[in-house]
Amino acid sequence: MTDVLLNTRQLVKRFGGLHATDTVDFDLRRGELRCLIGPNGAGKSTFFKLLTGQIQPTSGKITFDGQDITDTPTYQIARLGIGIKNQTPDVFDGLSGHENLWLAANFSHAAVAARDQVDQVIAQLKLAPFIHRQVGEMAHGQRQWIEIGMVMARQPSLILLDEPSAGMSQEERVRTADLLLELNATCTIVVVEHDMQFIKRIADIVTVFHRGKILREAHVDEIMRDPEVRDVYLGRQEVA
Amino acid sequence: MLWFLFRDFRRPSGERPTVVWWLFVVAVAGVLLVWLPGTLGLAEMLDLSVVFVLALLALSMSFLWGYSGMLSFGQTAYFGLGGYVYAVSAMNLGTTTVPFLLGVLLPMAFALVVGYFIVYGRLSDVYFSVMTLVITLVLNKAVRATSGSQYVVGDVRLGGQNGIPGVPPLQVPWDPATALFIDDVYYLSVILVLVAYVGLRLALASRFGRVLVGVRENEKRLALLGYDPRRYKLGAFVIAGGLAGLSGTMFAVWGNFVAPEMFGLQRAAEVIIWVIVGGKATLIGPIVGVGLIQYLTTWLGTQGVGQVTLVLGIVLIAAVLLFREGLVPTLGTLLLRLTRLRRGDDPNKRDEP
Repeated sequence: MTDVLLNTRQLVKRFGGLHATDTVDFDLRRGELRCLIGPNGAGKSTFFKLLTGQIQPTSGKITFDGQDITDTPTYQIARLGIGIKNQTPDVFDGLSGHENLWLAANFSHAAVAARDQVDQVIAQLKLAPFIHRQVGEMAHGQRQWIEIGMVMARQPSLILLDEPSAGMSQEERVRTADLLLELNATCTIVVVEHDMQFIKRIADIVTVFHRGKILREAHVDEIMRDPEVRDVYLGRQEVA
Repeated sequence: MLWFLFRDFRRPSGERPTVVWWLFVVAVAGVLLVWLPGTLGLAEMLDLSVVFVLALLALSMSFLWGYSGMLSFGQTAYFGLGGYVYAVSAMNLGTTTVPFLLGVLLPMAFALVVGYFIVYGRLSDVYFSVMTLVITLVLNKAVRATSGSQYVVGDVRLGGQNGIPGVPPLQVPWDPATALFIDDVYYLSVILVLVAYVGLRLALASRFGRVLVGVRENEKRLALLGYDPRRYKLGAFVIAGGLAGLSGTMFAVWGNFVAPEMFGLQRAAEVIIWVIVGGKATLIGPIVGVGLIQYLTTWLGTQGVGQVTLVLGIVLIAAVLLFREGLVPTLGTLLLRLTRLRRGDDPNKRDEP
């Protein structure tokens, strides 16, 4: 079994003249908790969408768990074990939180196991107080939690999280960070984040995107000392 | 106790039917099959039968639109097809059991083919609606153009604008010498609606149905969870096609007559009005919608109001403005609030089923 869970080679996505993702060579080892950072428009979300088949690459290759998934439809990639939380909550607004989780758990589990799985996620994420409310009527942070819960209920081997702590309170951010560390015991995680506090709490290796390319890839401490990274990204916000 | 039922009116997806719901079905069946027929004359029975026949078409629409999120503007394609298939095959074969089944199965097969191209061709939203409308209008045109004597299927002339008169009544399958009379057709149509209602309710509580509602809510998220939404959409389209075909077949049985209007724009629009007025994301709503609109249409006719279509349009606009979700869900929500207020419950709390 190879140590590399996911890699991309020369991955390119062009929108018209814009290179949203430009010749990206990305390697992810099994069991990592990787952070992606970069200014807005650096191509992080596009990269996630390419990985999950939500958009098709212009050229290049994506390999997951030894399998070429470059032109594989979204639902098949999901079946291989990639779960994603998109940047804006992507949930079933007209259904209750419980039904949202049920749909997620039911795909990979038999009926009874699915119910147990849902209960487990509710307990783990402390969703009980609002789980039977309609998701469309929930606060932004609560919808984020529901979506994270859906990803967890599927028990994927790779979890992609696009700004999981956006719209959350400081306390919730800490909880999210701890949760990711906990989840990391059993699965590989890639997180897109802007909050450096959050990143320092969880990250080991950080990959910096800039203009569709990978600018740097190093340990979080090194990244924060890197003058070029500070220049394109960190310099513009407070580094705590 | 009753609030279980009201909740069922509002959003009968996901949860398994409760005992109260089953009692409700039995009670309604009792009223419609035992009590009501005793109070009705034959003419009234005939009028009421068509409400139930068309209710099947309305159910097909609400299942597809209200639950699966696919607005088909052309469920009439399968309705008309069912009617014509029954008429032509019954007149050729001389029996009616096989034609009755064909009237359901052929529209399903047609829906499978059409649905395959529409769903797998990734026609979404408005293109889907337009395509379905175009298909029914094409069929309408095609059937209208069959007035010549060269348009014959077996011994039956298709008759163009005039349709096919003298469609044979349904025979009892085990006793072909006996044909169904007006009251028998009434009973059959009530039973079919009850079966369709219960069947759809159970289907929606099943895994398939719950995923379908997920298709309506967020197709992309469903794919990201590993479901292939296209399979569910196609499945729903075929089921809805079969139901519309059944409705068309029964329509031919009821009126002993089929005509190109079955495919027409007027009927296609009517289906949408029934479902919107009654409540598209419920199963009772469409049935109530058909009843209301049919009776309103008949009543306006007897009052000598010429502009029936205009009045129906105003009713539609009023319904959309006053009861956004439709009559039945609005009523259900209202009753739910009342009972909860009386019980002193927190209206935001939902009990675990």
